[in-house]
Amino acid sequence: MKNNVLIVGGGPAGLEASSQLQRLGYNVILIERSAALGGHLAKWDRLFPSGVSAQDALKTLLGRIEGVKCFTDTEVQSINRLDKSYNVILSNGITVLADAVLMTTGFDLFEASRKEEYGYGIYNQVMTNADLEAYFRNHSDKRIDNPRRIGFVHCVGSRDEKAGCRSCSKVCCATAVKQAIEMKQAFPEADVFCFYMDLRLFGRHYEDMYLKAQKDYGIRFIRGRVAEVAENADGSLQVKAEDTVASKPLKVSLDLLVLMAGMRPSVSGRRVGELLEVPVEEDGYFSVREGIVSGQRSPLPGIFLAGAATGPKTLPDTLADARAAAVLVDDYLSGIFTEAKHYKNLVRELW
Amino acid sequence: MVDFGFGLVPSSRINLDLFDKQKYEELASVEPDVRKCMSCGSCTAVCTAGNFVTTSLREAIESIHNGQPGKALEMLGSCQLCGKCAMVCPRGINTRHLILSINKIYGKI
Amino acid sequence: MIPMSFILAAQAAPEVIDRIPSGYNHFVIPFCVGIVFFLIWITVGCIRILLNIPHSDRLRFWKSLVSPVTIYKNLRDLFCDCLFHVKIWKRKPLLGYMHSAIAFGWFMLILLGHIEVALFVPKRLGISRSALFYPIFYRFFVWMNPGHTTLRGWVFFFLMDFFLLYVLSGIALAVFKRFRSLALGMKHTTKPSLADRVALYSLWLIFPMRLLAESFTADLSGGSFLTIPVNHLWHLIFGDKLWIMPSWWCYSICLGLFFAVMPFSRYMHILTEVLWILLRNAGIKPNHPRKGVAEAEIYACSSCGLCLDACPMNVQKKNLKYSSVYFIRFLRRHNERKINDIADKCLMCDKCHALCPVGVDAPALRRAQRATVNESIAYDYSYLGSAVPVHTATEGNAPEVMYFAGCMSHLTPRIIKSVEKVFNAAGVSYVFADEGGGICCGRPLMLAGRNDAAAKTIAANKKMIEESGCRTLVLSCPICFKIFKEEYGLKGVNVVHYTQYFNELIASGRLKPSMGRERLVYHDPCELGRGCNVYYEPRAALSQLATLVKASKEYDESLCCGGSLGSLTLDTRDRAKISETAVSSLMVNNPDKIVTACPLCLKTFSESVANSTHQVSPVRVVDFAEAISESIGN
Repeated sequence: MKNNVLIVGGGPAGLEASSQLQRLGYNVILIERSAALGGHLAKWDRLFPSGVSAQDALKTLLGRIEGVKCFTDTEVQSINRLDKSYNVILSNGITVLADAVLMTTGFDLFEASRKEEYGYGIYNQVMTNADLEAYFRNHSDKRIDNPRRIGFVHCVGSRDEKAGCRSCSKVCCATAVKQAIEMKQAFPEADVFCFYMDLRLFGRHYEDMYLKAQKDYGIRFIRGRVAEVAENADGSLQVKAEDTVASKPLKVSLDLLVLMAGMRPSVSGRRVGELLEVPVEEDGYFSVREGIVSGQRSPLPGIFLAGAATGPKTLPDTLADARAAAVLVDDYLSGIFTEAKHYKNLVRELW
Repeated sequence: MVDFGFGLVPSSRINLDLFDKQKYEELASVEPDVRKCMSCGSCTAVCTAGNFVTTSLREAIESIHNGQPGKALEMLGSCQLCGKCAMVCPRGINTRHLILSINKIYGKI
Repeated sequence: MIPMSFILAAQAAPEVIDRIPSGYNHFVIPFCVGIVFFLIWITVGCIRILLNIPHSDRLRFWKSLVSPVTIYKNLRDLFCDCLFHVKIWKRKPLLGYMHSAIAFGWFMLILLGHIEVALFVPKRLGISRSALFYPIFYRFFVWMNPGHTTLRGWVFFFLMDFFLLYVLSGIALAVFKRFRSLALGMKHTTKPSLADRVALYSLWLIFPMRLLAESFTADLSGGSFLTIPVNHLWHLIFGDKLWIMPSWWCYSICLGLFFAVMPFSRYMHILTEVLWILLRNAGIKPNHPRKGVAEAEIYACSSCGLCLDACPMNVQKKNLKYSSVYFIRFLRRHNERKINDIADKCLMCDKCHALCPVGVDAPALRRAQRATVNESIAYDYSYLGSAVPVHTATEGNAPEVMYFAGCMSHLTPRIIKSVEKVFNAAGVSYVFADEGGGICCGRPLMLAGRNDAAAKTIAANKKMIEESGCRTLVLSCPICFKIFKEEYGLKGVNVVHYTQYFNELIASGRLKPSMGRERLVYHDPCELGRGCNVYYEPRAALSQLATLVKASKEYDESLCCGGSLGSLTLDTRDRAKISETAVSSLMVNNPDKIVTACPLCLKTFSESVANSTHQVSPVRVVDFAEAISESIGN
């Protein structure tokens, strides 16, 4: 008998975990609420640090999931815990008896209009990191008209108690440096400024990317959080920050301001979590059992977590997390289902 | 105690030995938010008084940590308590009360 | 007095005979001791208060007592506030009945008692040994001449019994309230002090004792529908052996005790309120949290506790202790540490003041208290001299209006963008006074008790406005609006809030909003509603473009958004709780949008709505100008 594993969320984590579990011999059901698989990755153009194509990366991931039952445009309608498994009713009418559920529900991008002082949706020249990726893909955005002075604002909706998010979103610094370089490539004449609180470029080759941005592209990094944006009479933006290194308030006129919207826990993921009663921490992400030691198990038996559902992660982090989750799922299922009689004790012992 | 090398008196170097821990703890007990600053500079960026003179709550807090409360008081003398800094502070520091408290505690000689 | 003595002389036989020729009995001693102590106390107190207020204010006070306008105001307020408690009636009818029954009923008993004495035994009034107590214990000292009761006498008997019953009904409600306060519409009541308790129990006992005493003597000194039947009842129970003396002793002791304890209890408000109303109507403002006018004010507080339910901080029970009633109690007790703590916590939303039955302006006292600590903080605003106004008038080119956005609005660009769009749509020529950043209006400094410093920023802004030559000043921030209106004294400049100005533009046809299908709820910002009494205009304007629905608390009962600059020490978590409550009050009728007219409310509500719900489409919070500009298209 093949065990059913339900994976909720068809982003990179969901895709990678599906392919791994499929290969381990499980019957994998992957559901995705939107029309296409790929999550945020599908909307991105290029990936830091080396600038590989996001679409190519996605294609690779999709190429591995042969045999996985994928349902797009599908959401979880209800979940009941049975003795050893979960009875899940999907919005497309299908009922799944899942022996394990893996939540790869990912993240939502912070709604940049909530930081009103940055004027997203109010001023014409303000866009988000996601808008800029879309521009890189389709090469059209009415906000971008040969900009001469471009600003990147780090930490929009991250590290901000007012926005209800104390934590760092981990990927925005690297994204900002990457996008700043790309803008400089697209508009070599432009002056590009990055306004940061702390540059958190921790991964392999990230520092190289930063060095390249400084050395090869002359991008100006200013340590100070942008706090006020006004519109000049000519429609350009006047941006105010403090250069905390020089200890002086500064202002600069810009033609384009890019807000690095951070990661927020996925609203629809939270909804599924509520159906399952998966505990959530103060930051809104799902809590994991035994924190560091096994970060992919939820406190509930048979429920696993991977990817940004448990906090902001980069793409390689997410994929590694998904593989780890697949191993843990396998561990759990093979433990229980060898000795079907005593599964109740086993569920307790194994957890 | 042995002194090495040369020194100008007074030195322009920040001297952390001058940090008055007792007074700082007094400040932190009336306004614990003083410990929360992460020096992002938002307060300075929006400051109403900062349009006219050099003033910075961020720097004032740092000055206190650096044993230079006089510099902090001097900076905050221009504050109009308008509250813009409180609105933008990402750590949600109660800036107005912090400013009043710094004045009250370090202002008394 | 002449016609009255004429009537008395015309009577064949006296209606009332002095039963006790000396007009004295030992039982009056407790009452006399109490009332004399009380009278001395209150006289000394009044003199002290009057001596403590500045000379100019004192002069103003004497003048106000003879000015017809203030005489009218005083009489109206004394009747409405002290006797009838109209403000309580309006909000909690049953509670209003209770207060007015005790106050007005008792007042009428005293008044009618004195009239009775004046009519029937005039020699006991005026300067006589017994004038102090005789009218109070009138029924003890007289004997009705049977068969000679006139209609007039009968009317008095009836009235006295009627008002006694009226007071007793109030007392009954008060006793009931003590145990079941919610029934009278009060969620929280104050904790009484020891003196309060003694005064309270003696007050409760006074009137039942009076009924007992008067009913025992009713067959001698007369009575009406209440005392006569009760008298018959006593005869039925006790036969002819009535407990007349003990009951009058008890009555006197209760009265004496009450008056003796009164200065130390909350009931001092009954008389201090009179002085406070006179001072208030004379327009005298406190300049110290405890001395002079403030003293009258804090002793005028009745500790009724209506401010407990009013205070927006009290969504959390732990914040009850910061309510105005406790602030005033600690002011009375000189508990300096607690006073400062409470003074700093307050949001200054002014709701306790608006709802106070006595009109105690606790926020003003808190500001005065803050000033005692913060006024001395050093400041250096010499840089204000270098501020350059954006617009200086040259002959005839002054724009129609000057728009002053204020500090906060620079962080809410949608307000500024919308205001400018509306100006342009209506063809209003305007100058944006603080486009590149201005000088603070001074209100936040005043709220922190730094009036001297505030005066400096006020002077700088005033100079800028006067030099501009503009005749109309439009403000979008209610915090600025309040201080520009009250403290700037801009002569010849019409200071208006944008809700008022836009409403005028709509009324005069310069602005034509289109009616939409949306349902809006309007939030009254504290500084605009209670602060400046602007309730009508924003609603009038909004009703031109959408359907307005009600909030559970609105107008002067509107809840603070929680973002107020008034509080110096309230932390973000407590503020968030207040915001949640305010939002849920606004959401009772499920509007599509929340409209407010203050940058601080806008930001606070937007953050609260976004952070507290994880619904897919939370309610939209918009600014008044935004709502108007959206309705006029592009």
